[in-house]
Amino acid sequence: MQLNDAQSPNALRLRLAAATLGLLGVTTARPAAADDEPRKWTFDNGLLFYKESGGRVQVIEPVVNAAVDLGNDRTLSAGLVLDSLTGATPNGAAPAATPQTFSSPSGRGKTYTTAPGATPLDNTFHDTRFAADLGYRFALTPTGKLGFGLHGSKEYDFTSVGANTQYALDLNQKNSTLNAGLSFEYDQVDPVGHAPIPLTMMVNAIKTGGASKSKNVKDGLIGITQIIDPQSLLQFNYSLSLSNGYETDPYKILSVVDSNAQPQYYVYEKRPDSRTRHAFYAEYKRFVFNRDVADLSYRYFIDSWGVRAHTVDLSYRWNFSNNKYLEPTGRFYTQTAADFYHVALFTGEDSSVHDASADPRLGAFNAVTGGLKYGQVLGNGNELSLRVEYYKQFSKVTDVPVQAATALSQFNLAPDLSAINLSVGYRFNW
Amino acid sequence: MTPRLSLLLIAALALSGCSQLGAKPWQRGTLARADMQLDPYPVQSHLDDHIYFSKEAASGGRGFGGGGCGCN
Repeated sequence: MQLNDAQSPNALRLRLAAATLGLLGVTTARPAAADDEPRKWTFDNGLLFYKESGGRVQVIEPVVNAAVDLGNDRTLSAGLVLDSLTGATPNGAAPAATPQTFSSPSGRGKTYTTAPGATPLDNTFHDTRFAADLGYRFALTPTGKLGFGLHGSKEYDFTSVGANTQYALDLNQKNSTLNAGLSFEYDQVDPVGHAPIPLTMMVNAIKTGGASKSKNVKDGLIGITQIIDPQSLLQFNYSLSLSNGYETDPYKILSVVDSNAQPQYYVYEKRPDSRTRHAFYAEYKRFVFNRDVADLSYRYFIDSWGVRAHTVDLSYRWNFSNNKYLEPTGRFYTQTAADFYHVALFTGEDSSVHDASADPRLGAFNAVTGGLKYGQVLGNGNELSLRVEYYKQFSKVTDVPVQAATALSQFNLAPDLSAINLSVGYRFNW
Repeated sequence: MTPRLSLLLIAALALSGCSQLGAKPWQRGTLARADMQLDPYPVQSHLDDHIYFSKEAASGGRGFGGGGCGCN
């Protein structure tokens, strides 16, 4: 571009700055009184502390989110999450009458030993995860809003990148809103000490299944939000998720036992290389006693691995003063076991099964969560909240190999899990 | 009554019901409250979904099925 004398570099810079601000909507006409000017930046931050009993997983997770109102119904948002995990997690092997020694996933001669009768836990588990997302939403038409998002996360052995789009269309004088969304995600796992060959014997953590594995996840969502009356609304969603690729957990194993429940050896788990998930979701929200808010939601989940799950969530926000509230919450969850879930395999069964996993998360269990949240809007309009929750999984013993069932029954094959979850939220405008 | 006929009947009832549903623009004060939004604390929901995604087999419904972590 040629500059003439009339446009000095400084003048041009000013004009460029004005044009850029104009594009960003920053120079949109506002009322003259500065005090009336709406605040445009919103920071929504949280800190989570999650701790399971019995020295199992502990998570500390700070979240920072910023959204800026660019005017004319346009919002730009960005978020950062840091996840720090430590503790022990079940490796999939069944308890045994004698001490069991396992190689840690990295190999290098490191081992850990589980006492007789105890659930084998891999205590070498620790990870730090960093995640970031970026979103932009704008009014495409007077009744339609379009949004785009990007996200990525990185752990020591796991990388994920994804993109999504959402569209919301108001109908019927804004009494109904149709929502639709699509998302694509690419995940890559680089297991510590490489990936094992599934359903082969674990020997000194020698793994020859390759250094890197990946999967694609495609998600779709459609929904409708309907205003029932001036005090209540209802939402229905259906989400579909198609996942293809490496679904196996490279660190999980199964015991192969004899009729005395004595482990003969251990094999690496194997999951199907695709998974289709369907979720049907309904939420009802109602303003009650001209003061409080009651919220009830239900989800039915079904997937191609044979898991069926029901989730009911309830909360009641008691606005006991103009700027303070207490919110008790309750959640009930139940799931059936995946088709290929086994507590352990019987000798020889490892060569006949197509897929097998002893991951307790794919087993059958019920879970309850109870919590209490306190929130307060401070004098400056900022909002602080504190929440404490207790979570407990009540496991059900299923899929025990028949030939070893009597001998295995002396052990607690599916121990319950409990956890405390503390979170702090702080939202401020700037 | 066949299941298809019952479904049709339910759909017809739901559709005719919709015309009675809603709030007039001047009745929106309560619905516009921050605590009446479907997801008033998205950061909290995100943290909850992340925990449940890593501890349970089911996911999705409220939003996308989720992922982005090696925890499941």
